[in-house]
Amino acid sequence: MSNVGSSGGSSGAFGVLGEISAPAFAVRPDPETLFLRRSDRFRALAEGHPLKPYLIFLADLSSAQHWVQQELPPAAPVDSAVLARARTHGMPPIDRTGFEPDAACTATLDRLLVLFADCDMPDPARAALRHLADADADSRTVMMRAVLADQIPVEAIAGHVLVAAALQVDFARRAALIDPAALHPIGDGVCPACGSRPGVSLITGRQGAHGTRYCVCSLCSTQWHHVRIKCVMCGSTKGISLQEIEGGPGTVKVETCAECRRYVKILHQHKDPALDPVADDVASLGLDLLVRETGLARGSTDPFMLGY
Amino acid sequence: MNMELSRRGFLAGAGAGVAGTTLGAFGFGDVEAAHAASIRPFKLANTAEARNTCTYCSVACGIILYSKGDLKKGEKAEIIHIEGDADHPTNRGTLCPKGSALLDVVHSKTRTLYPQIRKAGSDKFERVSWEQALDRIARLMKDDRDRNLVLKNADGVTVNRWTTTGFLAASATTNETAWATYKVVRSTGMVVFDNQARV
Repeated sequence: MSNVGSSGGSSGAFGVLGEISAPAFAVRPDPETLFLRRSDRFRALAEGHPLKPYLIFLADLSSAQHWVQQELPPAAPVDSAVLARARTHGMPPIDRTGFEPDAACTATLDRLLVLFADCDMPDPARAALRHLADADADSRTVMMRAVLADQIPVEAIAGHVLVAAALQVDFARRAALIDPAALHPIGDGVCPACGSRPGVSLITGRQGAHGTRYCVCSLCSTQWHHVRIKCVMCGSTKGISLQEIEGGPGTVKVETCAECRRYVKILHQHKDPALDPVADDVASLGLDLLVRETGLARGSTDPFMLGY
Repeated sequence: MNMELSRRGFLAGAGAGVAGTTLGAFGFGDVEAAHAASIRPFKLANTAEARNTCTYCSVACGIILYSKGDLKKGEKAEIIHIEGDADHPTNRGTLCPKGSALLDVVHSKTRTLYPQIRKAGSDKFERVSWEQALDRIARLMKDDRDRNLVLKNADGVTVNRWTTTGFLAASATTNETAWATYKVVRSTGMVVFDNQARV
């Protein structure tokens, strides 16, 4: 009788009805489809949405993030010695604090600015784009470092968000080269690949992990497993509740924590596979506006939602 | 300027639609302000999820209870859904047919909420206090044990078996509780016994 309770690894031997979840700790991003799907999702959400012009703008930006990847130099894989050192010291293998832009990263930003310049956008966005296009390599590196240090100056948000969009592509391409089995938990609310904060968390419908929750990195889009009903930011299991807009479909909620007074969105992707970690975060801005009234702060990061 | 600090400062004195947000910085401040105004009449609905253990058997599967309504706001909270906990190592999100029907147990009109007694010859249950119930159970157990304890088997070997009373213990207990339950029950000689420690 003793093995009745340990169904984890024995499904093959017994033949199990239904699906048993054995979630992998980390899932690497697929930059070749990530931004294209995001762009489609932004466009689909834009129909009849109060934020339609902004969602279309971000659909174009996501599109540029996708097409920029053609003709880019290959992303630099993380050195195996760096991986081993990161593992020994419980640090993320991609270091965002000591960041030096390489050829691929520089080319990503260059090409993104060219591609995105062809899209329609309001004057302030156009001005920021031109300003960034005229900036020299050194000022661009300074801006990249500001983005990676979460220290975007409030008077120059637009330019920095465009830089952040380029970094999302660059970091996703590099994170995609890391074997997820080499990644290990670093801490609550910290991406195991690059050390960034999550953008949202989601309940996945992925085969073999159905019903489990993953955090999605706001920078490199790596997903990592985080137990449900547990604050993504502080790890507390007390005082967790879920809020959604009354009468909503129940697929986008915020998980609030009474201990650290922060909240992170939770997307029920197992109910609606179309949900995108960035597009649906922006499109559910109304939820942030209402939750903010209750005195809670947004715990997650999203360059397209700065100020919330 | 640190974004964390600067956004707090801006939010303190200004609503949406001003510089200080990505939308405002890209020139979508008017859309943002209109959205902020239109969302105001909407309300938030509170739901909660809570971990628990299936009450049925000693396998002790992890479950998640979904409820609606906010007790802190004085509303009535109601369990609306129960499913297997995918994070739980025992069942990995699965439930047996009995476990899958737990929601009906929670809302069952015949669910036992307090001790009741049906006296000999009576056709109905009467509610009693826990004090009365436990005293009566202890009395009946003692009397039964005194009458029926088997001290020796046919070969004259001491066995101290008590086979006429059985004991079914909880599924959702810690190792320590299971250990204590086992020691107490077995020390009376009881052999008809099931609890989580068996698994």
